[in-house]
Amino acid sequence: MADVAVLPEPLEEVAPPKGRHGSVAWILWIARRLGLAVLTLWLVSVLVFIATTALGDPIRAILGKDYNADKARVAQLTEQLNLNESAVKRYLDWLGGLLHGDLGTSIANQRPVGQLISSNVLNSFVLVLISAVVLIPVAFGIAMISANYRRKRPDTVIQTILLALAGLPEFVTGILLVALFSTTVFHWLPAVTIAGAGHPWDQPSVMVLPVATLVLAVAPYVSRIVRSTLLEVLDSDYVELARLKGIPEKVVLRKHALLNAVVPGIQVVSLQLAWLAGGVVFVETVFNYPGIGALLVDSVRNHDIPVVQALSMIIAGVYVVVNLIADLLSILLTPRSRTAISS
Amino acid sequence: MPEPTTDGRNLSRRQLFKYSGGALAAVAAADALAACGGGGGGSGSSGGGGGSQASGGVLIHGATGGSSKDTIDPHRPVTAPDIARVSNLFEPLLFWDDNYQIAPAIAESVEPSADAKTWTVKLRQGVTFHNGKPVTPEDVLFTLNRVANPKSPTSAGGALSEIIDFDKTKKVDASTVNIVLHTPYAVLQYLLAEYTFGIVPTDFDVKNPVGTGAFKYKSFTPGQSSVFTKFDGYWGQKAFVDELHIQDFSDPNACVNALLAGQIQTMDNLPYNLMDSVSKQGGKLLQAETGAWIPFTMRVDQAPFSDVRVRQALRLICDRKQMIAQALAGHGTLGNDLYAPFDPAFAKDLPQREQDIDQAKSLLSAAGHSDLSVQLFTGDDIGSVAPASAALFVQQAKKAGVTVSVVKKTPFYGDDYLSYPFAQDFWNTRNYLPQAAVSELKRGTYNETHFNNPKFAQLIATAQATTDEAKRNTLLQDAQKIEYDEGGYIIWGFRQQVDAYGAKVQGIKPSKYLPLGSYKFQYASV
Repeated sequence: MADVAVLPEPLEEVAPPKGRHGSVAWILWIARRLGLAVLTLWLVSVLVFIATTALGDPIRAILGKDYNADKARVAQLTEQLNLNESAVKRYLDWLGGLLHGDLGTSIANQRPVGQLISSNVLNSFVLVLISAVVLIPVAFGIAMISANYRRKRPDTVIQTILLALAGLPEFVTGILLVALFSTTVFHWLPAVTIAGAGHPWDQPSVMVLPVATLVLAVAPYVSRIVRSTLLEVLDSDYVELARLKGIPEKVVLRKHALLNAVVPGIQVVSLQLAWLAGGVVFVETVFNYPGIGALLVDSVRNHDIPVVQALSMIIAGVYVVVNLIADLLSILLTPRSRTAISS
Repeated sequence: MPEPTTDGRNLSRRQLFKYSGGALAAVAAADALAACGGGGGGSGSSGGGGGSQASGGVLIHGATGGSSKDTIDPHRPVTAPDIARVSNLFEPLLFWDDNYQIAPAIAESVEPSADAKTWTVKLRQGVTFHNGKPVTPEDVLFTLNRVANPKSPTSAGGALSEIIDFDKTKKVDASTVNIVLHTPYAVLQYLLAEYTFGIVPTDFDVKNPVGTGAFKYKSFTPGQSSVFTKFDGYWGQKAFVDELHIQDFSDPNACVNALLAGQIQTMDNLPYNLMDSVSKQGGKLLQAETGAWIPFTMRVDQAPFSDVRVRQALRLICDRKQMIAQALAGHGTLGNDLYAPFDPAFAKDLPQREQDIDQAKSLLSAAGHSDLSVQLFTGDDIGSVAPASAALFVQQAKKAGVTVSVVKKTPFYGDDYLSYPFAQDFWNTRNYLPQAAVSELKRGTYNETHFNNPKFAQLIATAQATTDEAKRNTLLQDAQKIEYDEGGYIIWGFRQQVDAYGAKVQGIKPSKYLPLGSYKFQYASV
């Protein structure tokens, strides 16, 4: 979560375009951001490719001490990875395949990578989505309660609990939850995911503990940031003015303060979600959840280069897309920058 | 799912030990140093308590060690879940029974000729594949060729591929096959009973695997799970449960949690340090003796170990009881520097070697090494028992004035493997002849001690051609005496297999061959 410390400033890149119509300006802005996104992904693809195949001899890495013994396997892998071609040609082939949705063939079990990873990608996506749906109201709600009772006892209690939760690694939270609700104390919920051929959510109760663990891991962080922004806003002049005009404190909090405090919250939430989407290996391990993280670890261990490449690109893509959406939302929710673009 | 074939003689060390009795990788990774009070309440010798077993239901078996490399190929299983899968879908000609003795399976009998070169296989009548086709000699020949084709043998078929004569191996009549060998081999039944020798039909397709086992294939997702259903046309005891699922786990703790929460019914290779948490929370433990060993290996052709007195001194330094108590958390049986404890030829009459520091010291000083200092090579990829026992040996050696410094290699099974002067290794349950062939003969693929004794080799060669079991056992006992007196192995113990199952599960008995009653889930009811 350390990478969240530096929040990107969404307003920085927006120079007010002068003398154009609003919609044109918006299209230009979005086009520019999409261009940047594509550029980012392209750079990532170069890095991923270099890191996985172009450095050293991948076959030597795959076969280890069998390299000298098993010539047939060396030949087969050389052909599968096209190692007779130049690195540039291989990169272009791979990129071309990627753009056509062809992710290659897994080395570990000779199945198409797309087919191999699709269910894990979907599983991770659903887990993150459900976590987000739970996380956002919970985190913002706690922040509002906390800000409302600023520096009174409820606030102190909430802040202490949040700090303690933020300090707990997510797998510890997971293990404690399993012991509490599944094995040692109560037997209410399933301890792990046994998906079989279907998806984990076919049995909805399976999702409860993983989602709870992720929410408990991320919510304290989001909550504390939103709370401190809220407090800043509550001290501002316009909120003071609203109060002086006699608007009830509840309405002040909801309408005047929260809307203005929501932007940093969106940025934090987006980065956290992108982090979760990248696969939370510990949580996937504790709950045996068939997501991206466990698959990525497994593929790295098997030196399954095509799968590692595909998953890296997907994770990078999630980061880019989530950040793009967060920036867009931030601008739409900030009147100053909204008008800056379309004026 | 075409898998790369691995040349039998060049297969990797890791693969071999995984094949050869399997499923131990996870257990070797058990935190062996954890103090463990033994399986108090839950340790049962048999799951079949009182009452009759009920039919129906689904049995979900949890297994660690799988990955997206998982396979369902009957002749290329590597990991514990692979072995569990093939053991339920497919059956070899013979079985290893729970006591590690040969029992008939698809073959009613497998008899050698007097010269041990022609073996007559009589097939059981009425055995059918999952698709209804009866098992014929053609299927047996097809399977032999798939496993042991000398051009591309599977790792499991390597030993057979070197001796089988495919030109003369033929169908005799509708229920008889003759397997003909180039060189005499009196214990062919050992090879034919391995789980890697499942009989498959001539039109076998790994995408829709058909065998003769008590369960038939329904679905399989590598790294995740497989689903099998009860085979109603099974020739033996039909399964109690309607469905068998084999679920991969990346972490044994998650597997234990699933067992305690009742989500799975059985799990194999329970780490010793988790035994208490299973038995205290209602799970049952299944403990079985095995012939799996984690020896120290001394190169007999390199000083100082080329002096037999040094080798014997190090064997006398080893406190075997302490090794078992600490490195195996008490879950092991005593070793006497001899392997293959279940072999009928096992030399159990040789006196049990105990720690004897005085004699070790006098042997060392007679050899001119009273202040011996040696390096001991170990590595995490042998399994966690190895570093633990290496650390213990350092302390035990100190008592005899021997300085042992441990060198940890990463990876241990790298380029230097088989050339370490003093190291450790890891072997699974095997009988004497197959084990000696790979590790104690000059040509042996894994002769890590560089043992090369002409008299020993002669005894092994004669025994391989001797079909009379009593005579053969005498020869093998003479061979073991040589190893006992001059060998390069320090074999301090054999580890115990520990598995777990849910409170409601009945019918699972411990087996010396494979975990969880050799994975024969047809005997289990939920």
